[in-house]
Amino acid sequence: MKMLFVFRKDKDLRFIGHLDLQRAMQRALRRSGLPVSFSQGFNPHIILSFAAPLAVGITGEKEIAEIPLQLPVSPNDFLERLGKALPPGLIALEAVGQKDDAPAAMARLFAAQYTFAPRKGEEGDWQKLLDALPAFLARETIPYIRRTKSGERPDDLRPGILNLLEKNGELWATLALNQHMTAKPDQLLTSLAETAGIPVPLADTRRTALLDDRFNPLEQV
Amino acid sequence: MDEMVSRRLEALLARVQRPARYVGGELNARVKAWRDGVTTFAFCFPDTYEVAMSHLGMKIIYDLVNRQEDLLCERAMMPWTDMMDGLKEEGIPLYSLENKVPLSRFDAVGFTLQYEMSYTNILHMLELGGIPVKNADRGEDDPIVIAGGPCACNPEPLYAFIDAFLMGDGEEVTLEALRLVGQGRREGLKRAEILSRLARIPGVYVPALYEAAYHEDGTLAAFMPTDPAASLPVEKRVALNLDEASYPEDIPVPFTEAVHDRIVLEVMRGCTRGCRFCQAGMLYRPVRERSAEKLFELAQKLVDATGYEEMSLSSLSTGDYSQLNELVQGLNARFANKGISLSLPSLRIDGHLEEALSDTARVKKSGLTFAPEAGTQRLRDVINKGVTEEDLLRTVGEAFAQGFSQVKLYFMIGLPTETDEDLLGIADLARKVAGAYYATPKGRRARGLRITVSCATFVPKPFTPFQWAAQDTLEEIKRKQSLLRGALNIKNVTFNWHDPEVSYLEACFARGDRKMADVLYQAYLRGCRLDGWSEQFDLDSWFLAFRDAGLDPQFYANRERGRDELFPWDLLDIGVTKAYLWRENELAHAAKTTPDCREYCLGCGLTRFEGACAG
Repeated sequence: MKMLFVFRKDKDLRFIGHLDLQRAMQRALRRSGLPVSFSQGFNPHIILSFAAPLAVGITGEKEIAEIPLQLPVSPNDFLERLGKALPPGLIALEAVGQKDDAPAAMARLFAAQYTFAPRKGEEGDWQKLLDALPAFLARETIPYIRRTKSGERPDDLRPGILNLLEKNGELWATLALNQHMTAKPDQLLTSLAETAGIPVPLADTRRTALLDDRFNPLEQV
Repeated sequence: MDEMVSRRLEALLARVQRPARYVGGELNARVKAWRDGVTTFAFCFPDTYEVAMSHLGMKIIYDLVNRQEDLLCERAMMPWTDMMDGLKEEGIPLYSLENKVPLSRFDAVGFTLQYEMSYTNILHMLELGGIPVKNADRGEDDPIVIAGGPCACNPEPLYAFIDAFLMGDGEEVTLEALRLVGQGRREGLKRAEILSRLARIPGVYVPALYEAAYHEDGTLAAFMPTDPAASLPVEKRVALNLDEASYPEDIPVPFTEAVHDRIVLEVMRGCTRGCRFCQAGMLYRPVRERSAEKLFELAQKLVDATGYEEMSLSSLSTGDYSQLNELVQGLNARFANKGISLSLPSLRIDGHLEEALSDTARVKKSGLTFAPEAGTQRLRDVINKGVTEEDLLRTVGEAFAQGFSQVKLYFMIGLPTETDEDLLGIADLARKVAGAYYATPKGRRARGLRITVSCATFVPKPFTPFQWAAQDTLEEIKRKQSLLRGALNIKNVTFNWHDPEVSYLEACFARGDRKMADVLYQAYLRGCRLDGWSEQFDLDSWFLAFRDAGLDPQFYANRERGRDELFPWDLLDIGVTKAYLWRENELAHAAKTTPDCREYCLGCGLTRFEGACAG
């Protein structure tokens, strides 16, 4: 069987990058004594896949990973054993047992939800940002320069913004995150600040959900 | 840390490289409360987080101190240049990783002295932490600054910056010193009184309580205590029973990768081989083993507590560990099926390795490392590296037959009495190792032969038989390196060498006196930092620092000392006597070897320490 599990990556760990997170999760799984599977080769590692890497600086409230297990384990048992083994700042929230041939979470991923809150001392400019929302959403294209490993190229942010609104003074966004289209949260903030005519404000960014193409959370299989 | 500062820190962390090394919060980090009556200690590693978190000694002391109810230990490391500049610009003091407390607020701040090229970092860390850099400038509220570790065996270049040095095994003396400092501060004792009381603890050297006098030629004339509490010499402390000595059962597991990111089992401390260039071999005497039983227990606890996927055995000469086969087989039996690999570093080449090798190989075929140190038998006899060409070729042959195909060979250049013939012997040996590979039947040997020849520059060190020797000049080392570059242009052989400039400075500090503290201070003022990182090292600034201090580096590095010269480090008794070292020096010049002292006692001086050595 394989287990899909949901975990939180706390604010304290926002500076821990994806590779470091992978290593920490592998070590936690090793400590947990769960019947994990190892890759072949001279440096065997625990087979584990994440639905979507989380950028440094962002808190993850419902991150998702999947792991094949050599023996059946109940979701509750899995959650308890993993929970005990996780380092401070990583919290196991939910586990869902799946058949080995169930489609991978990574393949079902379509979009992600983000929340942006103003950092203390940045509240002044924040209102200008919120005020610029209607104008921003009215734009037909939002051109920007996309930086990738292979260089820079012009791109359009607008089609990747699936939903964007204000809620209790915070900014809520649903952004495309799939192989055809990706909109990044820091670019959203940058482009929005550009429209508002202000410097990019410091914000606490949280990824609150990973969604499939029907906008259901991935863990609702 | 108040809210304003932590907000500025937050913004700073978002713009520096690899911020994970500045935030703590690792699994098994110990965050203890700052209660009244608890003595607070900041263990400072004067290099980056990745280096610090690879260091076993820090983990031992961190664990030991935090096990005590009345003490706590937090960690601090040298920030990289971007963070260092950022802290200064933002007015954020260097803080501990656990409770984010500025260094200046601890009762005691301690540095581990692992290599000379980290000394400028100590000065910068003090400054960043809000502590006056010079001990003479510290006030009653400033922490007591202590230091220990291998380089403390010649503490004099740091005499102006460190309040007290702890000599020998840290398990023994650290707790006593910390408790005394904490109690003294709670009682409101004057700083000078605390230091004087510290000096009464065996193994503690308080430089302010001694004066040095010099001859006109710059050599040391006399060394005198100025306080009745100050003993001369200061005797190192020894933890005689390693099974009873404190050892961590869980260790902080960094999120970001450390240089050596694994479980380390210290199987043994000390070495009886008596290689004449090797300071550790002299400093860490007597030899003490940890039992295989104890190591199995520790390994299991550490695996359970950390989840590490790799384990290594550590000592100066693991091949000499009496229960090696039992240990390796036992560890493999327990952990191999859990995907935990075992690596065996620094194996000497005369151990009986085949069994041990076949066991390691079952888990992971990593490269093998050998250290013949010199290219000819004559020079290996001079340095008393009791290894023959035959031993080496037999052992690499066994390794190739086991499926190993990568071999690292370590040498030193600039050893006393070295000739060009000795250097060319290095190339000869590399060629023969390649020959041993091709002599292994094609079906048995693994593909992809790679021989790496690394040549370090010899640095004469205190408390070795070569403490009297001159280091080769920079020009001579460069000539020798280029000779070797030509000779080592061999298929499948890679030649690595180090910058001789760094070794040159290392030599100055290794055998430096109190005057070298001026050079260090000037270099610090000129912005030298992270000198162990080649991209940061700035030789010109160091030369200017020598000029500012009115000193000649050649006096320290390139001068052959006379038999009776008083050395700055003679104020310490680390176990081996000067008479023994001189005897070994004379044997070296006659190219005569000395057997391992387990065969018969050579009278090195350790029998003076009760229970240390059978003799």
